[in-house]
Amino acid sequence: MIKFLITGILRDKNRSLLPIIIITIGVALTITLSGFMKGVLGDIVDQNAKYETGHVKIMTRAYKENKDQLPNDLCLLGVDEMIDSLQMRFPQTQWVKRIKFGGLIDVPDSKGNTKGQGPALGMALELFNNKSGEAERLNIESSIISGSMPQKSGGALIGFSFADKLGLQIGDTVTYFGTTMNGSMTFQNFVISGTVRFGTAALDKGTIIIDISDAQKVLDMMDGAGEILGYLNDGIYVDEKAKQMSDEFNALYKNSDDEFAPVMQRLKEQNNLAGYIDLVDTFSSLFVLIFVLAMSIVLWNTGLLGGLRRYQEFGIRLALGEDKGRIYRSNIYEAVLIGAIGSIIGSIIGLSVVYYLQVYGIDISGMLQNSSMMMPSIMRARFTTELLYIGFIPGLFAMVLGNMLSGIGIYKRETATLFKELEV
Amino acid sequence: MNSEIIISLEHVTKRYKVGDGDFTALSDINLQFKKGEFAGLVGPSGSGKTTLLNIIGSLDSPTEGKAIVMGKNISALSHKESAMLRNYHIGFIFQVYNLMPVYTVFENVEFSLILQNKSAAERKKAVMESLDWVGIADMANKKPSKLSGGEGQRVAIARAMVKRPDILLADEPTANLDAKNAHAILQTMKALNKELNTTFLFSTHDEKVMGYLDRMIHLEDGKIREDEIIPHKLSV
Ligand SMILES: Nc1ncnc2c1ncn2[C@@H]1O[C@H](COP(=O)(O)OP(=O)(O)O)[C@@H](O)[C@H]1O
Ligand SMILES: [Mg+2]
Repeated sequence: MIKFLITGILRDKNRSLLPIIIITIGVALTITLSGFMKGVLGDIVDQNAKYETGHVKIMTRAYKENKDQLPNDLCLLGVDEMIDSLQMRFPQTQWVKRIKFGGLIDVPDSKGNTKGQGPALGMALELFNNKSGEAERLNIESSIISGSMPQKSGGALIGFSFADKLGLQIGDTVTYFGTTMNGSMTFQNFVISGTVRFGTAALDKGTIIIDISDAQKVLDMMDGAGEILGYLNDGIYVDEKAKQMSDEFNALYKNSDDEFAPVMQRLKEQNNLAGYIDLVDTFSSLFVLIFVLAMSIVLWNTGLLGGLRRYQEFGIRLALGEDKGRIYRSNIYEAVLIGAIGSIIGSIIGLSVVYYLQVYGIDISGMLQNSSMMMPSIMRARFTTELLYIGFIPGLFAMVLGNMLSGIGIYKRETATLFKELEV
Repeated sequence: MNSEIIISLEHVTKRYKVGDGDFTALSDINLQFKKGEFAGLVGPSGSGKTTLLNIIGSLDSPTEGKAIVMGKNISALSHKESAMLRNYHIGFIFQVYNLMPVYTVFENVEFSLILQNKSAAERKKAVMESLDWVGIADMANKKPSKLSGGEGQRVAIARAMVKRPDILLADEPTANLDAKNAHAILQTMKALNKELNTTFLFSTHDEKVMGYLDRMIHLEDGKIREDEIIPHKLSV
């Protein structure tokens, strides 16, 4: 009987082709969109973790409340000792200190007059401390498009579009103007050792990167840092681990009412990332649901049309002694076969597109010119094992559901009526 | 010849709902058929021939009265049971051949045997044998669309006969055939009737068919006007 059905499916293109095309398109779309959303979200989370949030981040309570203003007057003090004890308590995590600061970059001409000027977002990292892993973490070496890493105090990297805007060359000197943590004016010259392209418009347009020791000097923050970031050793964010760590850490200061007491936040709690993550999950499920519904309705209708076309065949089969239940079930088998064929083709196409988008991505840097969002400028899909079934199962399900619905018509019809439709 | 009664109709009446009222397509039909008969329902179009054949074939059931076929009361059968009755005991031949277009001649004929779960070897033997009876064994692999009218109807006979049914119901089988093909097919059916002792029951208003019948039941407006035994055939 199965052979009889397969023969029918293969020979009767009208019966199989349209549903297969519909399922293929639906399945391929589902997989592509899921893979793409997962990939982009993963990259956003990953980038945020590296540049902004860490897997966990420690700040003072006061700093945390005002962190958008980069309030270095509320920074953590005694950070070296704190990092030592953190490293002891949480050895599976690497701890680094960072200072973010604002200010003005001024480019003087040969006579000392201002040639160009722009607001800067400063990032001070443990660049000179190789053990910190910061240069690798932020991929600085390969992001440098001209020049090199600063080798000694007084050197700085600058975002490439920032450098373009200010007309800077490697080796040029710029002057940083800002305020110390105590609120007094400060300025300092830096020599540009290289320009960087992080692929994030927000960073490339206004960043200056210096070693943290320089920042501590300029900003008068001896042994201070705005933030201590923790990175799980295998580089992958696992919310349970982060939560366990932050719960344990925050419990230590539970009873303190010092506004300078440190507080640990995990990645998911920062920058609305929990919102994004949940949004993408909801979006994926919603899409799959809409897809199943839409496909089922379309396939229900193609099933009905196919059924009408096949009344003759059903009538003959009834006359030859097949019962209605069996005809109905054989239609469902057919649906399973057709659904499986469509879902397999759709999965192959979808996975290929995901693979392509994972390797090559879509360059959206043009659209991000004026964006200050921390977003990768090449959107890439990501292949996950989930993609192997996220399209396949709904595709099969929609086809079977669609045919069950359309088959009810056959089932309900009187044998004699169905049979009479044979007559001319 | 065996005189076992295999079809028995008692006070069979069939009414169709038409709008608010009823339309009586068959009224108080009493008939019996014995094994091996070669009989026909004759009468003008609309006289109820097809309705009666469908009831005997368990595709429909009477509104009143009883139809007993192969010892089974048609009205009392479930879908499954009536399908079984058709599958094992009743063959159908229609005015249009009603072959399944995507399947070959062989596959069309084979289908009943697939339903009976016969093995591939048994099926092949039986299909080829029945295609032989009707003289088209060489067309086994053709598609129905490639056949002439006469060939199509031969396939339909082979399909009905392949399971060696007790009863063969033929609803206006010659209506779409020319005289030569009609006679050829009737001769084939007559031969099968003799050889396999299958009961043939026709519905027809074709004179050519009537010439072959041993018994003619004349229907008019859903009633039996005359149940006629053809004398010259009795002498055979
Ligand atoms: N499903 C139905 N509903 C209403 N009337 C029907 C139905 N089927 C058949 N009839 C009527 O019953 C009568 C007998 O039909 P039928 O048995 O097909 O006649 P025949 O085969 O002798 O031409 C016709 O008048 C036909 O219109
Ligand atoms: Mg008729």
